[in-house]
Amino acid sequence: MSEKLKRRDFLKGAITGTGIGVLGAMGAYSYSGARKALFSKAERNMTDIGTCKSVKVTNISETSWFDNQTLVGDIKGAGGLLVDQYSYNWAPFGNGTGLGKGSYADGIAMIKQYLPHDLDKAWEIAQANSVNPDNAGGYSCLLEVEELDGNKRKFLLDSGWSYKWMDECFKREGIDKMLENREIEALFISHEHFDHYWGLPVTMKYDPTITIYIPEGFYPEGKQYIKDAGHTGKLIEVKNGLCKQIPGMASYVFPIPIICRVYGEQSLYFNIKDKGLVSVTGCCHQGIIRFAETAYKEIKYENDQCHGIYGGLHISPFDDWDPKYDDLVISLERYGFERIGCNHCTGVLCAKKFISAGYPVIEGTARFRSKDKAYLGNGDTITFG
Amino acid sequence: MERFGEHYLEERKLVKRWSGPIPALVSLLLTLTVFYATWWIFQDPRGLMRMYTPYIGYMYCRWWLIMMIWMVYIFDFWPFKRKWLETAHPLVKGTVLTLISVAILLALVKGFFEGFLGNYGLAYFNPEQLEKLDGITSFFAAEYSALAILMFAAIASWLSPAWVVAMENAPWNKMPQPARGFSILTITFFLSTIVYFVTMHPHMGILYHPWQYFTSIAPPYWEKFADTVSGNFHVSWIMCCTVVVWLVETIWERYPFNLIKNNWLRRFATFFGIILIALAMHFFLYFAQELTWGEAIRGTRRAFSPDWRWLHVGEMAIFFLVPALFLAFYCDNWPKKFSMPVNVATRTIVCLVAAVVLYIAYYKTSHLFLGTQKGFSHPQQFPMIPTIWLINIWLAHHWFMDNWPAWKMVPKTAHEIEADHNAARARIDDIRFTPKFVTGIGAGLAIGVLFYVVTVWALPGLYEIIDIIPKN
Ligand SMILES: [Fe+2]
Ligand SMILES: [Fe+2]
Repeated sequence: MSEKLKRRDFLKGAITGTGIGVLGAMGAYSYSGARKALFSKAERNMTDIGTCKSVKVTNISETSWFDNQTLVGDIKGAGGLLVDQYSYNWAPFGNGTGLGKGSYADGIAMIKQYLPHDLDKAWEIAQANSVNPDNAGGYSCLLEVEELDGNKRKFLLDSGWSYKWMDECFKREGIDKMLENREIEALFISHEHFDHYWGLPVTMKYDPTITIYIPEGFYPEGKQYIKDAGHTGKLIEVKNGLCKQIPGMASYVFPIPIICRVYGEQSLYFNIKDKGLVSVTGCCHQGIIRFAETAYKEIKYENDQCHGIYGGLHISPFDDWDPKYDDLVISLERYGFERIGCNHCTGVLCAKKFISAGYPVIEGTARFRSKDKAYLGNGDTITFG
Repeated sequence: MERFGEHYLEERKLVKRWSGPIPALVSLLLTLTVFYATWWIFQDPRGLMRMYTPYIGYMYCRWWLIMMIWMVYIFDFWPFKRKWLETAHPLVKGTVLTLISVAILLALVKGFFEGFLGNYGLAYFNPEQLEKLDGITSFFAAEYSALAILMFAAIASWLSPAWVVAMENAPWNKMPQPARGFSILTITFFLSTIVYFVTMHPHMGILYHPWQYFTSIAPPYWEKFADTVSGNFHVSWIMCCTVVVWLVETIWERYPFNLIKNNWLRRFATFFGIILIALAMHFFLYFAQELTWGEAIRGTRRAFSPDWRWLHVGEMAIFFLVPALFLAFYCDNWPKKFSMPVNVATRTIVCLVAAVVLYIAYYKTSHLFLGTQKGFSHPQQFPMIPTIWLINIWLAHHWFMDNWPAWKMVPKTAHEIEADHNAARARIDDIRFTPKFVTGIGAGLAIGVLFYVVTVWALPGLYEIIDIIPKN
């Protein structure tokens, strides 16, 4: 055999062997326990956000919509969970052409002149032109932070959806007066979703000068809405990551894609003296465990203890289920939360699974159209600290 | 005796109408146009039928693929006569055969799964049965049943071609059509059902509250190993199997399994070899995500949750299949001038590079024109749907339409067919187990392991440089 042939045989063998070697190594090592040695231990940043004495949350409204079947029917009819929320033709941006055919520009043109002073009129027009306007509710809560020296500071998280429903809720909890008296320092918008954001003019009606914090990732329509709703105060677009607010309070923006064409969610952390970390969320599209893990990695909190949760945990907002949610129910135990005040898009089904798993879920009173005592309902309050 | 389409694909000569890369580029442009038009009509959430809900569109997409595999690979185009396949205009063939594939598709999904199984066996196959349950909205009823039906499709899209590619149709390879087709259909459907019951059924069993302890193993037996109770763990390796079957069939030319002379040994080695290669991909692609994004954390959503990571393994695998099929269908499986191992290795590297480029391009831009969402892990982000949709179009174009119009189909003469067979045999005979070859293998093994180590070492840094979607 010539040298050339021998070399070619060697080459063929070597190439074949390389393939087998790569595949063999991939199969043998990639999922073995040994690989874990390569992962760096989570480095903790331990950013100091200060401490506060307590935080009291008043649930202004957690019922984003009143009937699941109707809402999900609309979503399905319009083409599913990826469809741009501004095109659903939901109130207040209805243009009278029916499900899935709306746009922000058409909708706002019909009501803009009434924002924010005449919301009754604006909503009336929206009702006439939108799909299932009476199914709209909203998510919003009041946060009262007590600083270490006893000074109390108020913030709003989200402004709900239906002008009519949110105005009612604001009046029920006295938010209208607080806004008029300029007692509330700022409005944090968790994300651009209809049920958290489209009720913005209701806050504007009582205090158009309020400072607004939105997370990075709003679409042009969403940013335009702030102007169209009559806002005259400061607008702060919070960059992804941690942002300290006041001692013991910080926001965190997660760059995540969300259903109905929304991007990014802003949630709040509180560090309660002697108690530990409290997480307050709108929908928590990033997931409660990621939220807790992020806190562990990024900030320093009392006793290294996860103390409480308030808000939507976005697990089964439509009472849908998936085995991956069971992963969450099973794993939440590891984080040791001491008080769980969940509602909204957590889903009643999930709250019930939490309760049967033995978690400290704070039950509610099921008033003002909240559906179940399994979680904190409209008008209920919870105080951490 | 009528041969229908037996060996039709090997025995047709596709003659380029223009020289150079023009036919491939024209075909790419043409199929992408058809892709986008049909995407808009059927799938796009902003389009006409908006089937990308996502599971409904996904289900039809997956089963349509299998319908074509059944018609072409398992039934050899039966009942269409060979004469018709060779003489009918590609547009006529394409239309007729596509319409038939869709008709079988609807009969299978609506008639067999939803109507028959869903009404008389397992309620979760039929949305109407699910809607009767407390608290399940009609939207999710439709999604859940589509999920179950499509999970079945995932398995069938691996096993149906595997019987032809790996088992070489044995033991029915001598039987005429349609008897052979029905035999293979029966065995692959039977195996798919068994695999379905031990992989996907336990997933469906915990989809409802309370867990269905009575009818399925709950929590599923893979919980500890996979770090999740989700069936995505299986979707992952089964997707890898599907991809590997086609790699073996196209760019790998069944190498190195075709070196085995004993028929049954070769068949089983190929069948199980595909599974082993798929498992290697399955574990490695999961590991790759750990290296670039960090360890998964159970109970999180999206990019950090083990269930999504497993799903993403399947998604990454499919990005590898797209260039491989393009190379095989439109580039005449380039290159062919070297020895088999060199050809196979060259194609593999080309496809790997193309897959990475496609992956980056997809996540950077697809949301701008597909109507999907930005980001890797959106719960409605399913890159498998557009990629398989494109693959379906290629299959219809390549199998049903002979790559028309950039190519012209001419049946090979008996002489040419004979020459083909000889060439194939020569390629195999070219690999000899000489001492040099064996030392080569030894050296190769070491190089392979080293290559793996270097990849694992370099991956985090490489990913950092590319930074497809800016991280939080
Ligand atoms: Fe929400
Ligand atoms: Fe939301």
